[in-house]
Amino acid sequence: MKATIVQGLQQAYLNLFHMIAEFLPRLVVMLVIILSGLLVAYALKYVVRAVLRLTKLDRLSEEAGASRVLRMAALPSMTEVLSRSVFWITLLGFILVGISILNIAGLQEQISRLLRLLPEIVVAMLILFLGLVIANFLSRAALLAAVNAGYASPKMASWSIRFGIWILAIAMALDELGVARQTVIAAFSIVFGAFMLGLAIAFGLGGQGLARSFLERSLGEKKDDKTNELQPL
Amino acid sequence: MAEDILLGDDFLRQLMSVGEVDLLVAIPTYNNAGTVAQAIQAIEDSYQQNFVRDRVVILNVDGGSTDHTTETILNMNGRKAGAHRGITSLRTVHRVTTQYGRNPSQGMALRTVLAAADLLRARSCAIVSPTTILDSSWIASLLRPAYRQDFAFVAPLYTRTKFQGLLARNLLYPMSRAVFGLRIREMYSDEWGFSGRLATQCLDQNLWGDEAVRARPEAWMAVTAICSGMKCCQSFLGPKAPPPAGSGPDIVETIRQTVGNLFWCFETFQDHWMDRTGTEAVPTFGSDHELTPEDAPASQEKSFELFRTGVKQLDDILSSILRPDTLSLIRKIAGVEAGKFRFESELWVRTLYEFAASYRRTVIARDHILQALVPLYRGQLYSFLQEHRASSLEEMEADSEALCLEFERQKPYLIERWKAKN
Repeated sequence: MKATIVQGLQQAYLNLFHMIAEFLPRLVVMLVIILSGLLVAYALKYVVRAVLRLTKLDRLSEEAGASRVLRMAALPSMTEVLSRSVFWITLLGFILVGISILNIAGLQEQISRLLRLLPEIVVAMLILFLGLVIANFLSRAALLAAVNAGYASPKMASWSIRFGIWILAIAMALDELGVARQTVIAAFSIVFGAFMLGLAIAFGLGGQGLARSFLERSLGEKKDDKTNELQPL
Repeated sequence: MAEDILLGDDFLRQLMSVGEVDLLVAIPTYNNAGTVAQAIQAIEDSYQQNFVRDRVVILNVDGGSTDHTTETILNMNGRKAGAHRGITSLRTVHRVTTQYGRNPSQGMALRTVLAAADLLRARSCAIVSPTTILDSSWIASLLRPAYRQDFAFVAPLYTRTKFQGLLARNLLYPMSRAVFGLRIREMYSDEWGFSGRLATQCLDQNLWGDEAVRARPEAWMAVTAICSGMKCCQSFLGPKAPPPAGSGPDIVETIRQTVGNLFWCFETFQDHWMDRTGTEAVPTFGSDHELTPEDAPASQEKSFELFRTGVKQLDDILSSILRPDTLSLIRKIAGVEAGKFRFESELWVRTLYEFAASYRRTVIARDHILQALVPLYRGQLYSFLQEHRASSLEEMEADSEALCLEFERQKPYLIERWKAKN
């Protein structure tokens, strides 16, 4: 009995030793790969940044209007965005290769799934980015137009537009990822529909007077406002 | 150069039948059948009275009128017998018409005019508006400086009523004067003159797709002349009747077009004004800027309300355009009651220079920067009207000159903000 237990423990110890002996080199290899990846990623980042600065990409981006879009989304310059993207993509690639070296059962499958999902994730992120930029731009345009025209509650108009576009962008991004597709579409329809219905009811019933004055000003009195203002030139 | 631009075959045929000319007066139109005849008559009268021996042409560039404007021009009778006490032109006064597009565009109209002027080798040109009540002497005043004295750009000068053209008085003139160093009062106007040489130079530039040039090309021509070292002058025309109330673009559109064009010119010609200090008067033909009395306009309380609302509602936008100390001063004056409200010159100039610098850096969409200026201009306008409701003409002129000097004094601040990275 005692001999069996000792033998079992010895076997377990040997197995553990073998596993560690087998795993440690792989872990070291993984760490070496990740560290090399880090170095390569840094090197690539600086090379790409230097090349892009030499080619004056920021100036081109400024002229093409892309820099404005980035600034609107509170992002750095085009050179910085591209060089950082190169860094993270390189590092992510090395990390995935490193993890696959560990040969952990099931992890390989997850990594391949992640790699397969990568294009969808990129597209979803792009949709969210564009949604953010468009929402910012249009809500600001609405706010400025409403303030300059002297409409009441200009911020409400601005936020309605921003909120509507956010909902749309999030729904589109989730749909792209295939996350609970039916639920997302149903939820989007309900939230967006409710939002629009709410606005319609609020404006039509709750704000009859406001609606009337809005229409009167748009169709009739606006002309009077305009004629009252001094000719600027 | 003109061959690069798509000029219709019929238009080219008309130009070729005219041959070379000395003088060209262009009249851009869009649904102006009701007023264009008097403008054409004034141009013909001027040709017959003042340029008897010269080769002349009247060019109509139309933006797609649907009210038979072009037919009205072509069907007009020629010179009126005995209308000029026996003085008539020895040459034919040609009338050429063309349609440059289906929608009106000042930039496209000017480009077509410049292409025609280049083809016809015109020595002096003028552009006039079909809605202005023209006097025939105006045409001669616009054409002569470029024709006889080698001036490249001729800006008009008008007799203005006291409260007319306040955007030009409080922003466009003092700011353009301080930055470009030449005292041209009416850079944004419906009438101006230019030499054939300037026409060719502007035509060669690849800037016609830019919104700022498309909207207000006249100021761009003036700045091109200034920055190319060409001679500019002003020519006094006389009293200009204000357009019927509500007929022109509103204040938002006017600021987008004119201030947007001015800021764009700052950016495009930045190498020419950065090191320039002081200002120079330009030669003026006829009387210098005349001002006539006018009753104070109706209460502008609404302008003040729109200023206050704007400062409050646009706080986020203004904080991305203005420096914190400037914005805090604006917030402070927005809290003052209407009777005591004053938008001091120093703050106004500082605000505008920060707007120009933010426009250059495109801190947000440029059109939004310009729109965010509207409430602040309304505040400044209200302050100006409060201050000058009972002022004499001399006091008002002195105050405008003081504002110009304030713009000049703070120019180093503009350069500092212009060069700053944030």
